[in-house]
Amino acid sequence: MTFLEQIKNDFNLYAAQATEDSFSDLRKNAFATFEKLGVPTTQLEEWKYSNLRSVQQGNFTTSCVSNLDADALIKAGILNKIIANKLVFVNGCLFPELSIWLETDERIVVSSLAQARKEHPATFEAHFGKYINFSEEGLLALNTALMSDGAFVFVPEGAAMQHPLMITNITDANEHSVFQQPRNLIIIEKNASATVIENYMAVGVHASFTNVVNEIFVGENGQLEHYKVQRAAGETYHANYTQLHQLANTNINQVTLTLDGKWVRNNLHFFMNGQNCNSLLYGLYIPDGNQFVDNHSRVDHAKPNCFSDEKYKGILKDDAVAVFNGKIVVHEDAQKTNAYQRNQNILLSNTATINTKPQLEIFADDVKCTHGATIGQLDEEPMFYLRSRGISEQEARRLLLNAFADDIAEKIKIPQLVAILESEIDRKL
Amino acid sequence: MISIKNLHASIEGKSILNGINLDIKPGEVHAIMGPNGAGKSTLSSVLAGRADYTVTAGEVNFMGKDLLELSPEDRAREGMFLAFQYPVEIPGVSSTNFLKTAINEKRKYHGQEPMEATDFLKFMRSKMEEMEMDKSLTSRSLNEGFSGGEKKRNEVFQMAMLEPKFCIMDETDSGLDIDALRLVSAGVNKLRNSERSFLVITHYQRLLDYIVPDFVHVLYKGRIVKSGDASLAKELEVKGYDWIKQEVEAAV
Ligand SMILES: Nc1ncnc2c1ncn2[C@@H]1O[C@H](COP(=O)(O)OP(=O)(O)O)[C@@H](O)[C@H]1O
Ligand SMILES: [Mg+2]
Repeated sequence: MTFLEQIKNDFNLYAAQATEDSFSDLRKNAFATFEKLGVPTTQLEEWKYSNLRSVQQGNFTTSCVSNLDADALIKAGILNKIIANKLVFVNGCLFPELSIWLETDERIVVSSLAQARKEHPATFEAHFGKYINFSEEGLLALNTALMSDGAFVFVPEGAAMQHPLMITNITDANEHSVFQQPRNLIIIEKNASATVIENYMAVGVHASFTNVVNEIFVGENGQLEHYKVQRAAGETYHANYTQLHQLANTNINQVTLTLDGKWVRNNLHFFMNGQNCNSLLYGLYIPDGNQFVDNHSRVDHAKPNCFSDEKYKGILKDDAVAVFNGKIVVHEDAQKTNAYQRNQNILLSNTATINTKPQLEIFADDVKCTHGATIGQLDEEPMFYLRSRGISEQEARRLLLNAFADDIAEKIKIPQLVAILESEIDRKL
Repeated sequence: MISIKNLHASIEGKSILNGINLDIKPGEVHAIMGPNGAGKSTLSSVLAGRADYTVTAGEVNFMGKDLLELSPEDRAREGMFLAFQYPVEIPGVSSTNFLKTAINEKRKYHGQEPMEATDFLKFMRSKMEEMEMDKSLTSRSLNEGFSGGEKKRNEVFQMAMLEPKFCIMDETDSGLDIDALRLVSAGVNKLRNSERSFLVITHYQRLLDYIVPDFVHVLYKGRIVKSGDASLAKELEVKGYDWIKQEVEAAV
């Protein structure tokens, strides 16, 4: 079965069981759009370097079936030492035994998306699909047409989550290849706050294609800490589209760490639709071997007096390929915008490749914006300084690379998690 | 300790050191003075092993070893220490971790076990006390955000921690006010003993009021053109470098 036949097949299966399917009415339109758009190809400017051709040859199975039990999942390293609320999805479906709920404020809702559609229809309808627009993005349409399940997070007005929520997605490709469409909807209302961690991992030898969509809404004066940890090793293809829609006086700190994955494409889109917003976007990618990582970001300053700071850092080894494409769009209304963007790369081999493209589109006149990209080796001066103190070249390099990477990891405000990630970074370097 | 013979070095095809001869015995303090551009920093860089320079002739014997054959890290492990004129800031590398790594790499080189974490901290604390180092400096990233004086004091503190046999100080006095100069010099004087040698590089005589040298050499156009005792420094203080330049030009 070709990939497109598979998709059609999956859609028909959902259609056949429309009565039990929570999302049946949403799928139809999206599927029609997907059929029109198809899977993105390198002919599209935004997909120039991100080639999905090998996925299209894959023989995927859309099924939650997994023989892993809770113990095996914990062993797989689901960060179970971190004290957090937890939702665990295996091959796209909720694995309830591993869910943990620590909050005492009963107004806060965290559930599977399918369940939320039944139990909180009004909130669901008010937000679902309101921030993304699948009419021009094949993978968004695909996700909406075939979404498996995902997390629904609702923090109502004035509520504060006391612990982070960790949404873990495990790909179990032990028995078969995996095709999944996780979909998360996160709603932080006025004066509310939360910390959400997306945690991706994979086990097994078969291939997988995970096509995630996150829609995140942050209401006035809302606060969000959002961390994405991508560590799905093996034959993994991972597309991750995250749309944040923020209203006035909101603070968002977003950190994306891509530590593993054969092919990763992130689309991160901030829409700052209110005054006095602060948006921080930090990212780190460390591809090695033949890994491919593409970070596309877009920050829309739609209203005056907002601040955004973006810093993405990459360390590339072996034959790895990375892409950074960051766009800041300052709308006509958005006077007194402060927007910063940096992309810094260290290439550790002659055969690694980075394509970086920082872009500014400014339609207001009273703004402060800077952007820039660097590509290079480690600086000579610090290297020599360390070696002149008796530290070997190899150890000096390790210290400097860790410092370069930890600068991003430390933007995560959970020390316990930072410590785990820093040791993983160290191992990868 | 160290014996430099006919050392020539160049950078980008430009000859900077043009035959340096210098012998330093254990416990001796030698000062090298000279006008800007004479090659003072080049000499210290070549001795420490900076790769930008090409040694075109000459040899350096460091305690029985051919120094020029050694990597920068092995020179340090053999007991050489360069206090930099411009210590580099290294954000994200903690001073403590840096010193622990440096000490343990040196121990490994000499076939010793690494220092236990608690022993290391005890050792560091005692050295901090001895060198009157502020705790806040060692808890930060290496030299990050340090003032000029703090950077130089940190160089001397590292010297105390690494216990080298031969210390090169490249214009440690530059950019220091009189109080900082006193503190730095006091630190260096504490480290002086009958085994440890120093090569103190400076443009001004004032540092040598505090760190009194056994010998003073004048470097000009990549050559040592005059040597004497501490009184030579005083003479330079009064007369400047012009008379030396004239002497050299007249001899050509
Ligand atoms: N990286 C370099 N490239 C080219 N010339 C250099 C470089 N470093 C030093 N020089 C030159 O070498 C000479 C000696 O410099 P330096 O050793 O720094 O002198 P000093 O420390 O005595 O002031 C100067 O003429 C300087 O311009
Ligand atoms: Mg100099």
